[in-house]
Amino acid sequence: MLLVHPVHEVLRQVPLLIGAVVLGSATGNAMWSIAVLVLMVGFGVARWFTTTYRIDAEQIQRREGVLQRSVLSVPRNRIRSVSTDARVLHRILGLTVVKVSTGQEAKGDAVFALDAVRSDEVPALRALLIADSLPDSIEAGDGISPPERVLARWQPSWLRYSPLSFTGLATIAAAVGVIYQTGAVAALEDSPLTQQGLDAAERLGVAATVGVAVLAVLLLGVLLSVVRSLLTFGNLVLSRRDEKGAGVLHLQHGLLRVREHTYDMRRLRGGTIRQPLLVRAFGGARLDAVMTGVVGSGEASLLLPPCPAATAEAVLTELIGQPDAVTGELRHHGPAATRRRWTRALALPALFAVGLGVAAVVAAVPPWAWVLCGVVIAAGAFLAADRSRALGHRVGNGWLVARSGSLDRRRDCLAAEGIIGWTARQTLFQRRAGVATLIAATPAGVKGYRVLDVPAELAWSVAAAASPWVADSDWAREPAHS
Amino acid sequence: MQTLIDPANPPSRRAPLVWAIGAAIPWAVLAVAQVVWFVLDARLGWLHAVAAGLTVIGVVTFVVVAPVWRYRVHRWEVGAQAVYTRSGWLVQERRIAPISRVQTVDTHRGPLARLFGLADVTVTTASSAGAVRIVALDSEVADRIAAQLTDIAAIGDRDAT
Repeated sequence: MLLVHPVHEVLRQVPLLIGAVVLGSATGNAMWSIAVLVLMVGFGVARWFTTTYRIDAEQIQRREGVLQRSVLSVPRNRIRSVSTDARVLHRILGLTVVKVSTGQEAKGDAVFALDAVRSDEVPALRALLIADSLPDSIEAGDGISPPERVLARWQPSWLRYSPLSFTGLATIAAAVGVIYQTGAVAALEDSPLTQQGLDAAERLGVAATVGVAVLAVLLLGVLLSVVRSLLTFGNLVLSRRDEKGAGVLHLQHGLLRVREHTYDMRRLRGGTIRQPLLVRAFGGARLDAVMTGVVGSGEASLLLPPCPAATAEAVLTELIGQPDAVTGELRHHGPAATRRRWTRALALPALFAVGLGVAAVVAAVPPWAWVLCGVVIAAGAFLAADRSRALGHRVGNGWLVARSGSLDRRRDCLAAEGIIGWTARQTLFQRRAGVATLIAATPAGVKGYRVLDVPAELAWSVAAAASPWVADSDWAREPAHS
Repeated sequence: MQTLIDPANPPSRRAPLVWAIGAAIPWAVLAVAQVVWFVLDARLGWLHAVAAGLTVIGVVTFVVVAPVWRYRVHRWEVGAQAVYTRSGWLVQERRIAPISRVQTVDTHRGPLARLFGLADVTVTTASSAGAVRIVALDSEVADRIAAQLTDIAAIGDRDAT
């Protein structure tokens, strides 16, 4: 345990370390570098000695700080989820970081993290922390008492969705950026290797070179995506444990860096099935939890990475017990909403085409510009058609379901009892088209879930059907006509 | 099929005036800057004309049209179970939140609003997408609403999430 803090302190201060080494070699006195290193290791050790945590009947507390002392307390009945995260160094030393999340969105220092608890203490600690927020105190300590039911287990076939993400390309872009920053490119420019490359490029011709380069980058991107996906999600297990009506959801994944999340099921307010265009084309989907006390997007709320859509739907159905909400038919939003999708998707391409037409009158326009224009218009048309097909909602049995989007299609399933506010928003154009965007406010997930371009006369009946307090309010009326 | 009729109460009668003054201040600064520019450098007459034209359009839109339009749109009402508001001008919103889920009730008075005896009431719930703002109320009305909402909200004993 003692080793983690100093090593991390050194890793975190790498720029400072480089500065110290440079200073040392510049002044010809290695003592500078050693002094800085000793200082940093000392600081790390001091941090370890000054950080303590305690769990008492009402709250958990972390005291830390070498020069500035700080105490962070969290009432135990406010704990919504417990997650653990063990990076490679932690795992080698048999340690784990335990994070405790409450309803608040904490950032930076305010996150309650116990850095480096011994791994064999973690199951008991987790059971203790999460059990305390459950209603009738379940015997903490023996966290394995009821049988766990596995909802989903990672399959090698899930890897087929991972080349379809942009994470690999993003990694390459980041790497290139870093290389440029260090000035390595300038050094490469005059090297014989670059000369050889340039000669080869001249022999091949520009088009072929660009083609080969793009292909190489794409292949590398795919490879990186697959490897990253394998390392992050290989061995993922999502399981559920029920006791006395209150369940606990447990998610574990990671081959090198092991992450585990434990969620209190009573905080679950629904789920989002997300299908980015490329993943959807191969019949995949990913699943996010909608939960109070858990950030609505990104890593924190992820339940399943891209996997077969049927798996994601089955798991969500299992979690919320509402097959209708997950797979049921949606009510479409009608011609006005469809028209708006088309005008919005084609406005820019049309402008581009008109501009090109005007330019063609004045001067010669290269033929590839027309091809590009055609491609842009076709892409816009596809987007519009796909987006209008996606648009729909469903309300009933205490659930609100909204689907929208094309490049990032999402189907939000939200428990109506978790909705604590409604907004009907209309821009000038929406008022003219007779549609409104309905926003359901909730403390869970991304906080606001939008039902895009509902026919305006329907908007409040959707809200009233989901929330009785809207239907019973002083302003609710049956329209005189219809 | 159900609809909601609009809430009943308009904001303070002084609201459009305050909104207009609030919008006029930055535009006045911009206009003065343009005059200074014209005095210092009167070349490029067409550029001055375009800038002046844009300023006039901006002033008419934000100082004359927007406050009147907003005054016609803005409505609020506090019912037995819920708070309901209508606001905006180009983009209009109707927002309703149940009083049982209210977490805090704040009143806020900006410098200009204090000069004219106005106040805003912000009612927050556990969702950052669900806060209801009733703007530009007469000061005493705002205090009354805040007291009323705090009283009703205190009755509920759930944790409002």
